[in-house]
Amino acid sequence: MRSSPDGASRGEIALDAISRVFGGGVIAVDQIDLNIRAGEFFTLLGPSGCGKTTLLRMIAGFETPDAGRIVISGREMQNVPAHLRAVNTVFQSYALFPHLSVAENIEFGLRMRRIASPDRKKRVDQIMALLQIDAFARRNPAQLSGGQRQRVALARALVNEPDVVLLDEPLSALDAKLRAELQVELMRMQKRLGMTFVFVTHDQHEALVMSDRMAVMERGRLLQVGPVLDVYEQPRSVFVAEFLGQSNIWKFASHTGNVAQTPIGDLVVATPIGTQRTAMIRPEKIWLYPEAEAPGDRPNLFPGTVREAIYQGAATHYHVELVGGAMILALDTNNQAAERSWGPGEKLVLELKPGNIMLIDG
Amino acid sequence: MSSRLAPPIRRALLLSSLPVYVLLYAPLVLIAIFSFAPAPGGQGASLHWYHALLQEPDVLAAFRRSLILALVSSMFGTSLGTLMGFGLSRFRTAKRSGFAAAIPSLIIYTPIIMPSLVFGIADLIFFNLLHKATGLFAAGLLTMGIAHVTFQAPYVALVVFARMSGLDPNLFEASHDLYANGWQSFFHLTVPVIRPAIIGGFLLAFTLSIDDFTISYFTAGPGSTTLPIYIYSAVARKGVAPDINALASLMIATVIGTGLLQYLFSRQKERRPLPRTGD
Repeated sequence: MRSSPDGASRGEIALDAISRVFGGGVIAVDQIDLNIRAGEFFTLLGPSGCGKTTLLRMIAGFETPDAGRIVISGREMQNVPAHLRAVNTVFQSYALFPHLSVAENIEFGLRMRRIASPDRKKRVDQIMALLQIDAFARRNPAQLSGGQRQRVALARALVNEPDVVLLDEPLSALDAKLRAELQVELMRMQKRLGMTFVFVTHDQHEALVMSDRMAVMERGRLLQVGPVLDVYEQPRSVFVAEFLGQSNIWKFASHTGNVAQTPIGDLVVATPIGTQRTAMIRPEKIWLYPEAEAPGDRPNLFPGTVREAIYQGAATHYHVELVGGAMILALDTNNQAAERSWGPGEKLVLELKPGNIMLIDG
Repeated sequence: MSSRLAPPIRRALLLSSLPVYVLLYAPLVLIAIFSFAPAPGGQGASLHWYHALLQEPDVLAAFRRSLILALVSSMFGTSLGTLMGFGLSRFRTAKRSGFAAAIPSLIIYTPIIMPSLVFGIADLIFFNLLHKATGLFAAGLLTMGIAHVTFQAPYVALVVFARMSGLDPNLFEASHDLYANGWQSFFHLTVPVIRPAIIGGFLLAFTLSIDDFTISYFTAGPGSTTLPIYIYSAVARKGVAPDINALASLMIATVIGTGLLQYLFSRQKERRPLPRTGD
């Protein structure tokens, strides 16, 4: 971990009660407190219009918060203009300069900071080699493919060795295969260079794959912040459970001990029920059995009929109608699809193991 | 689109466009032809009238004045118009709505749609008052130049504004993100990317100035006769003489040449499309 003189880690970001209100009284960012650790890959995930891009733009210096403090690498930054921040951005549109070649685009930041020419050239060459774009150093951005432009935009940010790299949905314009490749490459690059990456996306899959920690945002507020695994496995709100991954969610009004009376019937959960009034289970945590093989002596067994089977290659999604008429979504990996799969109209038994059921407040 | 029309309709449309082209270009072609009229007493096409033109000191002086006026006013008009277009596009991108969003268009288009007669008379009165008050701004090349700059700048601004509007607004943020302050961003990003518009604007301003009559007429003073004014007074004095045809042909050639230059330049720069979005 790299440290700045005053003790704060280089690349650490602290947002302190940050707010941004647009004209017309639209609150884009509503009193957000957030600490992003030095050298981590942090993702801001949320639907469009949730304020994640505005938050990123305030860290970059393109927007000034109406209230609150932004501390980057131990220095208060909310009133410092963008060109004086050791922060670089990879834009969704890439924003490559059309009048400059690839190499000149990458060199731009170093030139503006008046880095000596031999040093500039060395650093540009190094980063182009690292990102494997040296072959088209002299080309014009308009002559590059989407994936190549993406790399140039990344190189243009990384070459400056900033404390923080901000990425605003940089992969959204690429096709699925290229996107998957670049996701892995971005992660490797970040680990290798040790810079703090703040990544904005509305793609939950991308957030899961790439980040160390993530924050789920909605309507200008942070709903949950934590390591990716925690946020996925233990969502603290219905919104997070539904936005990140798929889920079956039931409200319940009454309970006895650790049994919740839900619309699909009595549901035994692993822990005593407190004030929570919502039960949730992920589709992949549901066990599926052929009718004949269902274990009879266990809790939370629900017989049902498959209404829809959506084959997705590695797994199949089953929309199952339970005996009472309620629908439930279950996922089965196709590791033994030849022996075990169900078509519409076929009957099966679902097991919702108590340990797999999450209780959510509200 | 046109390929979907039935052949008879296409033929009819093509035919109906012919008179338009004839009306547009026949007069110009005629003037050019007449300018090669034979010398008095001679026969067949000749360059006599061009030759005669070059012997005429008044014509040469008017031509020189027109050229100087066009060059100098275009330089000022282009500088001011560029800043105007740049400023207005920045004003527009700053999330305005309602009436405020229409302000740039109003500022640019009002002088453009204003009848030049009105402009000319207004300038005449204005410079007159200014002259009486200060003793400066006597009617002449200076007042003409100022008047020309005022009608050139909005056209240049229009071209620059259009160019700016076509650019990804993230470009400017990217330059600041990459440590460029306002001035660095202007000279290392804005000026290079709008250069085709600036040059196109200059050539446009030049052609506007060199053939302007109305506004020039009202702001001219003694000894500031430009080519269009000379032609007007010559025609008023002695009718359309063959030497005027030659002069007009030269002007047509100049304007077409400038236009061609503008076209070639913009084509060379625009061949590569600007990346706006991801791909």
